[in-house]
Amino acid sequence: MLAYVIRRILILIPMALVISFLVYLGLELTPGDAVSHMISPEMMASISAERLDALRESLGLEQPFFVRYWIWLQGMLQGNFGYSTAGGVSIHTILSDRLPATLELSAVALLFSTIFGCVLGVISALKRGSTTDNVLTVTGMLGVSVPEFFFGLVAILIFALKLQWLPVGGRLLPGYDSYWDHVPHVIMPALVLSIMMTAGVMRYARSSMLDALSKEYIKTARSKGLPEWRVNLLHGFRVALTPVIVLIGFRLPVLIGGSVIIEQVYQWPGVGSEFISAVRSQDYPLVMMIALLSVMAVLTASLLVDILTALIDPRVRLDK
Amino acid sequence: MSVTHDSGRKKNHLDRQFDLIRRREEAGELSNPKGYRFARKFLSNRLAAFGLVVFTLIVLVSVLAPLLTPYNPRAIDLRNILKPPTWEHWFGTDKVGRDLFTRVLYGGQISILVGLGSALASAVVGVLVGCYTGYVGGWRDALAMRVSEIFMSFPQIILVLLLVAILGQSLSNLIIIFILTGWGGIYRLARARMLSLREEEYVQALRSFGLSTPIICYKHILPNALGPIMVNITLSTAAFILAEAGLSFLGLGVPLDIPTWGNILNVAQDLRILENNWWVWLPVGIVISLFVLSVNFIGDGLRDATDPTQQG
Repeated sequence: MLAYVIRRILILIPMALVISFLVYLGLELTPGDAVSHMISPEMMASISAERLDALRESLGLEQPFFVRYWIWLQGMLQGNFGYSTAGGVSIHTILSDRLPATLELSAVALLFSTIFGCVLGVISALKRGSTTDNVLTVTGMLGVSVPEFFFGLVAILIFALKLQWLPVGGRLLPGYDSYWDHVPHVIMPALVLSIMMTAGVMRYARSSMLDALSKEYIKTARSKGLPEWRVNLLHGFRVALTPVIVLIGFRLPVLIGGSVIIEQVYQWPGVGSEFISAVRSQDYPLVMMIALLSVMAVLTASLLVDILTALIDPRVRLDK
Repeated sequence: MSVTHDSGRKKNHLDRQFDLIRRREEAGELSNPKGYRFARKFLSNRLAAFGLVVFTLIVLVSVLAPLLTPYNPRAIDLRNILKPPTWEHWFGTDKVGRDLFTRVLYGGQISILVGLGSALASAVVGVLVGCYTGYVGGWRDALAMRVSEIFMSFPQIILVLLLVAILGQSLSNLIIIFILTGWGGIYRLARARMLSLREEEYVQALRSFGLSTPIICYKHILPNALGPIMVNITLSTAAFILAEAGLSFLGLGVPLDIPTWGNILNVAQDLRILENNWWVWLPVGIVISLFVLSVNFIGDGLRDATDPTQQG
């Protein structure tokens, strides 16, 4: 098992290096003085031209390209992501401010979509061919066809503006920081964000459940005289669920993509809305860094999926 | 006794049916044109047929926009600002008095062009690369695979926005960006089909005839992989239309002076418009949803009609 994990990581490292290299190449090619995103703006304003040249020297900016890349990479690994050119704030600070909000939103959306997707998918499979099944299938298609932000707008109109049950957007009002204060703010964006994923999980859970129900051991369980719900839940559902849970790791890109737009709709102070404003103001260092971060998240998730799959199914890790 | 009698009758019945089929065959009625079975299967799927009707309707209405509406989609009319729907303005008017029905029709032209055009172009790139490298294998295959892995390890919208930041905003840039971010999926599909098809005996036969590689892979193998590729094109059309709408909604897609479905929705970020002027954003949102839904239904229908193993 350990050998398998190590092998997977070894495959991942060159990939991560190539992408970080491309990002660095992008940073070098985009307009702007490289010094300006490597030191803080206060420092930039207060130093003389000679000092700046000396600084350039010490930061390695006169060195050949690959050496510069190497220095930059070392900085990255120590959490030195450089400075945003638009706001002049350290990117590390921006990310540590914004990341908790995004993680909160994504985690709740992931939870919703997993629960709803599995439950609806299993119901759909158990009632295969019935009206319920057809209605659920068409609803699922609707879920992947309606733009997420349009769902968001309709939800804002109904629940925030007309009924006034929930706030229009934002995360927390100043001074309200208890556990329960989070709930009204997060619930609408998370539900909207989870719609598309719910539809995907549902479709997958349905076919996985149908697959499990056609197996011989289900017949055996029935012939033992077990009640139908026990057959379905304990024998069918348990087996059907494993691939569904594993698949959720692969849904991370969908989640990240969706959260970029949904954060904007709900003025959610997360990485996604920061990314949008960075793209608008052409703040290249910040754009590149967030993109790099999202790639690393996706690569890590795929590694975890592989490890999880190998834990569940021993055949995978023996397969070269 | 009754059993043999029964089976005898059944046999007679089968014989008669067989004769009938043979007669038809000799009369040439059964040599149905290619695609007949496919079309019947596709249309017998009610959702797919519904999708095809809605899709055709929206495309036709968009293309025929100049005949269907007397207004100019960019004509500003400051005396008719934010008017609710009337007989003159079916979907009402927007913040500067432009007729929204007209804008939805003309916007459809651009949105559909972006969606369908990007899907087709990225399919061409993906198929050309995937078929060739999948067939020849070796370092070309490995290289193409690595490149596609790099593209696909970005969440799509992040890569799109990153490229928008670098290349700048314009209609042609958006299509180029969509092609760059979209070719990977179809490339992998084409490559995977190629890997299994190139071992078939007919391919070995072609090779032993001395046919050139491009002819074998594009003329003789590609047609056998067309089913899943078509399904993929429809599904990526749906995805690109959603992506265009999302990006333009954010103000980062097609430049705002060109009417597209996403650009019309852009104003709904304003909460006052969202609350008070539903006609500005609701109809166009429904049109986008209906269109994408119809494309998805078509894609599903195609999958069922072309792939007999995936029915359920």
